[in-house]
Amino acid sequence: MKTLAILGKLAWRNLWRNRRRTFIMLAAVAIGIWAMIFMTALTQGMVNEMVKDGVSALPGYVQVHQPDYLDDPNINNLIPTPDSEIAARFGSAGLVQWASRIKVPAVLSSERETRGVTLLGIDPGQEHGMTFIHEDNIDGRFLADAADDGIVIGRNLAKTLDTGVGKRVVIMSQDLANNIADRGFRVIGLFGADMQSYEDTYVFVGKSTLQRLLDVGDRVTEIAVMGDDYRNVGPLVDKVKALTGDNVVVQPWTELDPYLGTMLKVMDGFVLVWVIVIFLALSFGLVNTLVMAVFERVREIGLMLALGMKPMSILGQILIESMLLLLFGMLIGNGLAWLSINPLQAGIDISFVGQGMEMFGASSVLIPQLRLQDVLLANGVVLLLGFLASLSPAWRASRYQPIEAITKVD
Amino acid sequence: MRTVCMLLIVALSLPGFAFADPDPRQIIRDTVDHWRGQSSYTEMTMVIHRPDWERSMTMRGWTKGEDQSLVRVVAPQKDRGNATLTDGNNMWSFSPKVNRVIKIPSSLMAQSWMGSDFSNKDIVKNDDIIDQYDHTLLSSELVDGQIVYTIQSVPHDDAPVVWGKEVLKIRQDYVLLEQGFYDQDGKLVKKLETLEIADMGGRPTSKRQRMSEVEKADEWTEIQLEVVRYDIDISDSMFTLSNLRNPRD
Repeated sequence: MKTLAILGKLAWRNLWRNRRRTFIMLAAVAIGIWAMIFMTALTQGMVNEMVKDGVSALPGYVQVHQPDYLDDPNINNLIPTPDSEIAARFGSAGLVQWASRIKVPAVLSSERETRGVTLLGIDPGQEHGMTFIHEDNIDGRFLADAADDGIVIGRNLAKTLDTGVGKRVVIMSQDLANNIADRGFRVIGLFGADMQSYEDTYVFVGKSTLQRLLDVGDRVTEIAVMGDDYRNVGPLVDKVKALTGDNVVVQPWTELDPYLGTMLKVMDGFVLVWVIVIFLALSFGLVNTLVMAVFERVREIGLMLALGMKPMSILGQILIESMLLLLFGMLIGNGLAWLSINPLQAGIDISFVGQGMEMFGASSVLIPQLRLQDVLLANGVVLLLGFLASLSPAWRASRYQPIEAITKVD
Repeated sequence: MRTVCMLLIVALSLPGFAFADPDPRQIIRDTVDHWRGQSSYTEMTMVIHRPDWERSMTMRGWTKGEDQSLVRVVAPQKDRGNATLTDGNNMWSFSPKVNRVIKIPSSLMAQSWMGSDFSNKDIVKNDDIIDQYDHTLLSSELVDGQIVYTIQSVPHDDAPVVWGKEVLKIRQDYVLLEQGFYDQDGKLVKKLETLEIADMGGRPTSKRQRMSEVEKADEWTEIQLEVVRYDIDISDSMFTLSNLRNPRD
């Protein structure tokens, strides 16, 4: 213990013998750590937004469909259980939030244009806060209840169709008997979404209004269930499976949107790669600094060996010096990272590249996300690999022959 | 209120206009019945005009009741045999080149019919106007010795119609003179006009009709009737999918 205290003292003093070099190295470590954490936070923030957006478009962490619906989103592929039964089962299951809905392809026409859309029959009470619709981003009003007679379409779609709040549009789809089901709807609201593609694709009508139009009675095509943690949906899937039975498929969002699911995995791997790449650059500086420090002190080390210091202590002394350097650098780096991420919690507006970001499903506001495990990963990697990298110069120092070392001429 | 005012003005300005206002809905019903008959057979030429090209097709058509119709292309050779069958709200098309009957899905209902200015919906739904609209008689005036009724038809809120209103001009003898399609701001978008009236099949008939979009002045489709026969015997087997595929006429 006492040896360790002495070694620590020696290492500490050695560290400040060449102040300039130490400061440069500290700066390098600090910037490296900062870059690791900051970039990771940005990446995680982007992934988080993408997943949240994706999940709000699905919506839900887990969805239930009739098996054929996935290949052919046709009104004939209804969930066999009646909606009232679903409500009874899901309502008392203690889920975070759930909604049953009808989702079918349809054609929307105005006087001038016709567009293919995804028609959603929803109960707004069930879906509140679950989808990408924000009530404060609606011109006009949103659907009041499941029996609402109006239609809510995206702002951009309204522009394309040259229509607006208060005007009538016509929805055409197919009913259960494969006959054309069509009806006029009055536009009661225009929603805005972060992604223009949502505004173009989705239109909302009341669930029971749509059930009547498509002549499906008390049936739906989809159940969406929200959970607490999108990274861990397994338990939720099991829970929903227990509620539904065997004649339907229950899928987590990672399967419903494989692109998004893969993206999450890729990004997690990317974070590690990024940390290691930065560390590699850093390690050259670190090893070089240590080699220089050892090289300068060959005679001194020889003297210590000659006076009876154990080679292991020499090794320890150099390692402690290196660890002190890294620890201080990490302290500063983490501080820097926190200081630079904290003011950005309101989000970084990157709407000037918004369209490009949208192409791969990210929204135009980026909120960096600092996760403890990413910080630990960055620090852990630096500490562990730093330790390993310092081993070689420290080992070499401890293996000097005292005579050779003392008599070494520069 | 405005309609009432207009009616008043019309009534006051026509001193000879003494009889009671006819029911506009009945006028439209009679008009539809008039040009369809209980059953009909027509030979017609359709001319599709575009700024840089024009083409024409000769077709034969059969209708029965309010729901059933069959149209078959006779010329030109490359389109010969193309046919469209409607029954109620459903529509099928047959093309001999692919030898396949296709049910027109709802997604294609708003698409143009055989490349013309008529949409598939125009072909299927020509009598929906009777029940799914509210009709008001805007004016009745004397033109060349015949009364011409101008009727405004506003679709019900849930009617599958995109138009804000349609304005029809119908002559006393139930010949449709003009049908204007207005958007919901009251602007005329497209219109169907009768260019020529003749006695055909024993009735005054719109011999030549033109459908055109107001904003595209140089694009129109004309249908000219060559032969019309009303109230003839057509067997129900005419309007079947097998007859669509294998003509027996």
